[in-house]
Amino acid sequence: MRKLTAALLSVLLVFALVGCTTSQSSSENNSGSADSDNKKEEKGGEKILLLNNGNEPTSFDPPIGFDSVSWNALNNLMEGLTRLDKDDQPQAATAEDWKVSDDGKTYTFTIRENAKWSNGDPVTAEDFEYALKRLADPNTASPAAFLANFIEGAKEFNEGTGSADDMKVKAVDEKTLEVTLVAPQNYFLSVISNPAFFPVHKATVEENKDWATEADTFVGNGPFKLTKWEHSSEFEFKKNENYWDAENVKLDGVHWAMIDDTNTEYQMFKTGELHQSDVPADLSEQLFEEGKAQVEDQSGTYFYRFNVNMEPFQNENIRKAFALSVDQQKIVDFVTKNKEKAAHAFVGPGFKDPAGGDFRDVGGELVSPDAAKAKELLEKGMKEEGYDTLPKVTMTYNTSDTHKQIAETMQQMFKETLGVDVELANMEWNVFSDEQKAGKLQFSRSSFLADYADPINFMENFQTGHSMNRTGWSNAEFDKLIQDAKAESNEEKRFEMLHQAEEILFEEMPIFPIHYYNQVYLEADNVEGIVRHPVGYLELKWADLK
Amino acid sequence: MGKYIVSRFVGALITLWIIVTLTFFLMHLIPGSPLNNERNTSEAVQRNLEAHYHLDKPVVVQYGIYLKSLLQLDFGPSIKQSSQSVNDMLGQGFPISAELGFYSLLIAVMSGIVLGILAALKHNHMIDYLAMTIAVIGISVPNFIMATLLIQQIAVNMELLPVATWASPAHMILPTVALATGPMAIIARLTRSSMLEVLNQDYILTARAKGISTFNIVMKHALRNAVLPVVTILGTLVAGVLTGSFVIEKIFAIPGMGQYFVKGINNRDYPVIMGTTVFYSAFLILMLFLVDIAYGILDPRIKLHKRGD
Repeated sequence: MRKLTAALLSVLLVFALVGCTTSQSSSENNSGSADSDNKKEEKGGEKILLLNNGNEPTSFDPPIGFDSVSWNALNNLMEGLTRLDKDDQPQAATAEDWKVSDDGKTYTFTIRENAKWSNGDPVTAEDFEYALKRLADPNTASPAAFLANFIEGAKEFNEGTGSADDMKVKAVDEKTLEVTLVAPQNYFLSVISNPAFFPVHKATVEENKDWATEADTFVGNGPFKLTKWEHSSEFEFKKNENYWDAENVKLDGVHWAMIDDTNTEYQMFKTGELHQSDVPADLSEQLFEEGKAQVEDQSGTYFYRFNVNMEPFQNENIRKAFALSVDQQKIVDFVTKNKEKAAHAFVGPGFKDPAGGDFRDVGGELVSPDAAKAKELLEKGMKEEGYDTLPKVTMTYNTSDTHKQIAETMQQMFKETLGVDVELANMEWNVFSDEQKAGKLQFSRSSFLADYADPINFMENFQTGHSMNRTGWSNAEFDKLIQDAKAESNEEKRFEMLHQAEEILFEEMPIFPIHYYNQVYLEADNVEGIVRHPVGYLELKWADLK
Repeated sequence: MGKYIVSRFVGALITLWIIVTLTFFLMHLIPGSPLNNERNTSEAVQRNLEAHYHLDKPVVVQYGIYLKSLLQLDFGPSIKQSSQSVNDMLGQGFPISAELGFYSLLIAVMSGIVLGILAALKHNHMIDYLAMTIAVIGISVPNFIMATLLIQQIAVNMELLPVATWASPAHMILPTVALATGPMAIIARLTRSSMLEVLNQDYILTARAKGISTFNIVMKHALRNAVLPVVTILGTLVAGVLTGSFVIEKIFAIPGMGQYFVKGINNRDYPVIMGTTVFYSAFLILMLFLVDIAYGILDPRIKLHKRGD
């Protein structure tokens, strides 16, 4: 009998040791879940919105978490000087009022008397000064630091040639903040609604550099406060009673899960465990037909880059021949099937000019499919270069089903229209990104998402040597137009310059567009008031559950 | 015994050091960088970030910095999830993965051994075929298909259990079952074949001749020999299952550590790649060692040491 016991014990030996490490955690987990069950019962009539953040946020420290997994949530935990309203226009938020100097360069903000942090302290101009200098500080190593370059002295400070004192952000008194810009920018009020420009509670940040990593040390000034954060698992918001506009916040809280798998997210949406879900790719057609999937614009463009330093794309006509062979409408109708708008220029729709027109409508279509012309241009280009046969063309995309389908469709279009056999290559994203930046890809898939709501954000990418250029393309006239537009205070003239710049871009065609991005989602019927901006982050301030 | 353990321990440390070194340099050889971002940034921003994470220094210097912090058991900060250090990630993720893995293995071992024994005892009868059909299904249906099926049928259609996450015991049932089917099938097949072999041996015949009941023969005489191959694979299975199944954890949104193995590499998050690799290697080495010891206890013919102790 003793032997049998020994044998059985040894079989379980492996488990026993592991058991030691798990027992503690399982008891913790059990007590934790019991708690949350109780809370759910208590909640009863409370309005808790159930959302999915997909992944663990990179960081809730405003200048660090430069991505949507961080800023979609953070946008509701904090508030900048302005906040975008339901029509995407900047409105007074933490700042109740502002004055702009005659030259359009100096902004004087008055911070609301009743603007408070979640710990009860007043939000001061000093908090803003500290936060903006922290954004530009090279030691903060913020990936969003370049957004501060609008402010005089910020660029130099970030590049290590200037200092914090020379950056023109100044707390004049407790409630007055003065910001001086490099050049007048009418869209500055919209730019500062971006989370990079959120204030931070100076005392908290100076005392504890890890203040933004846990719920109990986090201090915000937004419509909601962070009450619970279990890393990689979930976090929870409660309504912030200290928020200046708390009476207009209708939700009692928000629960954020972190579900990385779209199918699982969709299943949870169907069983009511989530109020909102992305649309699984396989089901998008069906969900659109049933009218369940909803669409909002997102400012950004899916496009392809030519490398103008590699044969045969040093030739403008050959680049144009390729661009004119692609039928964007067919790609969005039959390949992506996600209701994107086909793109026939680079700047997306949604930017109003001073006359009230949409930048895109005024600029019109700058590249449209034209098979006959494409053939003609290819012949012309080959003659110019003395080619009998076209050098080998390889189209590269980063590994993903959608990118692959789009690339294969384009391959077919090049074959049909130009009679050219294009090879396809895919690379894992990180490798792809390295090669594209190093200028090693001949013809590659690209994307751009706007950081702030102005056409110049799109156009500035293609200045000579810009980090987003990645085509080797350079045009002095284009560069000058962008620089002039950045310094121009007359809006009409500025828009005119941007239109001219875009025309130059498409005359020389170092890139060509496929579609503008959009946001497709499912939402439960009892949810209302969630705002999705084309440029900007998820807005829950006015959200409600019926 | 003491000597044996000491020599194994030293060997384990050397193995670990080799793994750390190889992983470190291989990982820096992969193209790409943790700071790659499809979005716009400026060169100054990129330089500041590199300096912040010491990525501007030569790889050998970075290796030195890493070894130094590793000796203090500090795996460093995650570059992509700056709100957590790698120690926190492993500290929070491992217990959850271990819990999921432990329950799955328990189910897999229990049901696998029972299925295997039944199949061997009723060799070439209905029960045998039934048990082996279950085993073949378990082996050939990948666990992510099993997971999706379970979610669709039990959670969405019948609404018996929640779809995903790790919030309560009810949430744990589906992922545990989905993860258990594969190992269960392997164990059932192994048990069956070694049981069949053992049951045909002379000492079992002797035992039968003495009139011992089938139950006692199986439990006292046959199983102990038949279970050895199961113990052999258990070492690897335990390390694999307890440190997290990426697929199951992703589908069920379980905050375990499996996700970090894949995300770390996709993001080139160097400290996370190193942390998960070191942790997994150490754990695997420990499990293999425990299996060796379990052999000695189960089968006196296997000696771990020459003489003494």
